[in-house]
Amino acid sequence: MEPKKPIIQLKNIKKSFFLPHEKHNTFVEFASNPMRLFKRSGEQYQVLKDIDMEIYPGEFVGIMGRNGSGKSTLLKIMAGIYEPTSGKVIVNGKMVPFLELGVGFNPELSGRENVYLNGVILGMKKSALKDKYKEIVEFAELEKFMDAPLKNYSSGMQVRLAFSIAIMADADVYLLDEVLAVGDVAFQEKCFNVFRKYKADGKTVILVTHSPQSVKDFCDRAVFLKDGVIQPYNSVDDVIQAYING
Amino acid sequence: MFNYLELLWQFISTDFKLRYKNSYLGLVWIVLKPLAMFSVIYVIWSNIFKQPPDYKMGLLLGIIMMNLFSEAVMMGMDSLMTKAGIILKIKFPREVVVYSGVTIALFDFLFNMVVFAIFCIFTPVNVTVLGFLLFLLAILSIFVLTLGLSLFSSIIFIKLRDIHNLVEVFLQLIFWATPVYYTLEMLPERMQQIIKFNPLTLIVTYARKGLIAGDGVRAEDFLQLGVVFLICCVVLLLGNMFFRSRVSKIAEYF
Repeated sequence: MEPKKPIIQLKNIKKSFFLPHEKHNTFVEFASNPMRLFKRSGEQYQVLKDIDMEIYPGEFVGIMGRNGSGKSTLLKIMAGIYEPTSGKVIVNGKMVPFLELGVGFNPELSGRENVYLNGVILGMKKSALKDKYKEIVEFAELEKFMDAPLKNYSSGMQVRLAFSIAIMADADVYLLDEVLAVGDVAFQEKCFNVFRKYKADGKTVILVTHSPQSVKDFCDRAVFLKDGVIQPYNSVDDVIQAYING
Repeated sequence: MFNYLELLWQFISTDFKLRYKNSYLGLVWIVLKPLAMFSVIYVIWSNIFKQPPDYKMGLLLGIIMMNLFSEAVMMGMDSLMTKAGIILKIKFPREVVVYSGVTIALFDFLFNMVVFAIFCIFTPVNVTVLGFLLFLLAILSIFVLTLGLSLFSSIIFIKLRDIHNLVEVFLQLIFWATPVYYTLEMLPERMQQIIKFNPLTLIVTYARKGLIAGDGVRAEDFLQLGVVFLICCVVLLLGNMFFRSRVSKIAEYF
């Protein structure tokens, strides 16, 4: 069999952010010492150091690591929100990033209006949203509340609505940042069923999480990120062990 | 391919709805603000000097147009910043938010033109097909110009917040430096030359001529306004280049 083409390729990704030591971004501060414009005090802080990774269609990859290890930065680079300082990202397919649920949700709008707003932002067609609207509302179990403004929803209700819209987004690759840990147990179980369905459908999922259990349950592969470097562990169990040991 | 137009429309309709949510008068505020401005200036000026014919309608149209300009400039500038939450989470063509900001100002303008039309019932104006076309070219020029300016300012605003205050001052200056409450002929010759450097001077002057004194529209009016329109297009082109070269890094600066 021919070797499969990777759906996401990360080649020597490096990412640094400017870490200022002296804050100055107003004119008065600038005028007090104009030379700062040419010599800014600070350093380049390297968050990701040479990340090489290939993810193949149908893989469920877990990314683990401590706070500040660069997980979210890596995900944002995959999603195309940040540009890598050097290196290359190649994505061969439609990707939907869920770095946060309910992107664009507005508290003043009704639940219904927010479904369309969020759905379109996630790249869905309005006509498709209309067809799936009933399904979304049923999945969120919010039939009675769709005309109420979102600000009157409990946080659990908001998350349920957001998740229900998100799972309607059709893509080849899903990027998930810590979105599993929401809702009550019954709703979580529903979400897990969705992940099982993704898996059965051969979708590719990249999951950033702190929960060893969900990595164990769903991921074919896991990587452990420490100080911006992927640590050399091969099996999912080794990664979880390394994560627990810090 | 991204659902570009649907996204644009979604941003426009959402922000339009949101602006006057929870307010009793709601959309009426869109027309009340320029109308209040008009009343103040008209009452004071009509007591100070004898007005030329068409002064009232010219003043109203001028204020509505300056309102379009300043709203479009402000909303375009704030557009990226107010959408930071979305920009940080999803990749989509960023210029959509700038377009939506400026287009909302255009919607407000249409509302205000309804008021202008109502005024026309009481003070008839002289509209011709040619005049109306000249007026449309003037509005298109403002739209293209503010779009171009917003493509610069929205990016700069993220790194340098001062530009917000700077632009507010600039908008005040340009309001007084445009023949809105006065006509060009009221000024001394030297002053006229300076004021004519302001592109809005020609835009407002020709829009008035087109919509209020439509009989007098000649081919050379189109030619002159056409030059202004081309300059606006150049601003848009430059803005577009600037925006494209900087936009991929903005997520880091919010």
